[in-house]
Amino acid sequence: MDPQATSVLLIEDNPGDADLVRLRLVEGRPAVRVNCVRRLSDGLAALSNEMPSLVLLDLNLPDSHGAETFRRVLEKAPNVPVVVLSGQDDEALAIKAVHQGVQDYLIKGDITSKHLERALRYAVERQGLLRSLEITRKQQLEFKNQFLSHVSHELRTPLTCIHQYVTLLLDGLAGPIAPVQSDHLKTVLKSVSQLHAMIRDLLEATRAESGKLRVEPRCVSIGDLIAQAVTMMRPTAAEKRVGLELAVDQRIPLVYADPDRALEVLINLIDNGIKFTPPEGSVTVKACVVETDPSAVYISVSDTGRGINPGALPLIFERLYQDSEAVDGNRSGLGLGLYIARELVALQGGRMWAASELGSGSTFSFTLPFFSLAKLLYPVVSCEGQLRESLVLVRVELTPLPISLRGNWKEICHQSLELLRRCVYVDKDLVLPQMGNNGTAETLFVVASTDMAGVNIMMERIREQMNTLPLLQAGGGTLRVTADSLPARAASDARTLEQQVWGVSDCVTEMILHGLGCKSNSKQEESREYAH
Amino acid sequence: MHTENRTEKAATNRPKIMVVDDDPDLRHALNVRLRANHYEIVNASDGFSALALAQKEHPNLIILDLGLPAGDGFLVLRNLKTFPSLALTPVIVLTARDPQANAQRTLNSGAIAFFQKPADNNELLSVIRMSLEAASSPATPRLPA
Repeated sequence: MDPQATSVLLIEDNPGDADLVRLRLVEGRPAVRVNCVRRLSDGLAALSNEMPSLVLLDLNLPDSHGAETFRRVLEKAPNVPVVVLSGQDDEALAIKAVHQGVQDYLIKGDITSKHLERALRYAVERQGLLRSLEITRKQQLEFKNQFLSHVSHELRTPLTCIHQYVTLLLDGLAGPIAPVQSDHLKTVLKSVSQLHAMIRDLLEATRAESGKLRVEPRCVSIGDLIAQAVTMMRPTAAEKRVGLELAVDQRIPLVYADPDRALEVLINLIDNGIKFTPPEGSVTVKACVVETDPSAVYISVSDTGRGINPGALPLIFERLYQDSEAVDGNRSGLGLGLYIARELVALQGGRMWAASELGSGSTFSFTLPFFSLAKLLYPVVSCEGQLRESLVLVRVELTPLPISLRGNWKEICHQSLELLRRCVYVDKDLVLPQMGNNGTAETLFVVASTDMAGVNIMMERIREQMNTLPLLQAGGGTLRVTADSLPARAASDARTLEQQVWGVSDCVTEMILHGLGCKSNSKQEESREYAH
Repeated sequence: MHTENRTEKAATNRPKIMVVDDDPDLRHALNVRLRANHYEIVNASDGFSALALAQKEHPNLIILDLGLPAGDGFLVLRNLKTFPSLALTPVIVLTARDPQANAQRTLNSGAIAFFQKPADNNELLSVIRMSLEAASSPATPRLPA
């Protein structure tokens, strides 16, 4: 140990052992400062105050036992070397401790002063080494990411130039062109789009690796998304004479997913399916509910292609994996598509896997979680085992001006949602996720635990805050805030709190559907309007 | 191409668009396309001359790159807002930069739209057309200040 300034946090509940260890630590080295606590909670509190140069940890404490003890300490102080000092000679536990990041596992009966001192010194050294390795790794990753985003930006500029001039020629803006010239130029344009897609994938993969991929889940219909993806991919399938079929169970509940990202995943899988299926074959997209898993929808894309080699199956989701025997000499891209797709699904709370039989085809499957309003509402609408007395549904309707670009409009809605979250009390109000596919007008909802008087104040606050959004003012759109109280019948005949929350959730759903124009609104007289 | 030759305006009252980009080839390509759509064009290749030219020419709309020598696009956006005669001129940002990192910032700085290069020509033209229409009609619905 560094003899200059060494402070050891000793977490040990047996006073005898604690004294003994303290004695051995300071023997001949009065510079060592030992802070001894008896409970894990005290130890964690001490770590909040000051990081020691080392933690000596007994595993069985009054408030924690075994592996849980070192897990909590490592979580609290990931950069401090932790040495376990245990009465139990448990090899399995020792291995587990070391795997999780503990520097050493010493047995109480076995140690002498010299032994202990050396063990601790090495623990500190090892921890320092690990830290500097970790820092170097992070720096390299950061450098790589910066390099890639710089490169993809620089590649875009000449690509844009090619795109501009090819489209000028194709659109006849530089004089008339012959049909064969037009065909050639269209081939150039197709390659430009491929290159463009590769640059985009490169950036996306970089983001995925550094945890910067952004998904914005909403409450959406997976059936609509699949229909949209299939419509978009029909021309590609038709061109190759590959059938594109749909088998979607219409009764699937809404899912909680980012529609743009889910669409991206679907298109990627369908495109892959078409690519590896010979003419006259087919690609089928299915979505269904699986009885064994009530929490997610199962979506699969199967093809009748040549299948994947069993040896290659575990590798296909890896970055840069390329099928070495790509059949039709198609330029296959960077090998990032499936990697990005799987990351996107994972970020939305699902998982993705593949199954294949050589010669008869492959199936790529993924899950997306169902949207459960009741689950979201539960902590907000209940208080001490009781349903809150008065609940109000606030609607914030945003309507874009005709010039609002889709991408810009999404950004406005995103910012509005963030802003709305700052206008409510997190423990008793809930800002619902966005509903429906990204259309033009957007309605955001808040379920608020308050009465109509309280909600007036909230609406005032929302209006005030929304008016600070420069975007919305600068040509984004118009705003309308209204509120309806939830009828008391929502939960009247339900017995348990769970059932009551279900009742509220059903009622909110019904009111939202009304508001979105799915049914006629019969409670118009209760609503208060702040129209602009 | 359906968007070409849509407006048959007299040469004298053609809307004037200022293109700000430091890449001469790209400027030229944009000029050809915009002229074909009956717009009058002025060009600037850096932030400083963009601001000077905007005050002199009073364009009806500005297409602005972000990465520029002598004052980047954000600086241009900020400064435009300080001239009463230019503060309401619609600005469309057209850049190779990443939308995730830049779209929100440019829109907050007062741009009316963000396009990443290479942009879809038809989409760009339709946003130009609609922005010009919105800017010329006084009845544009706005939030109260």
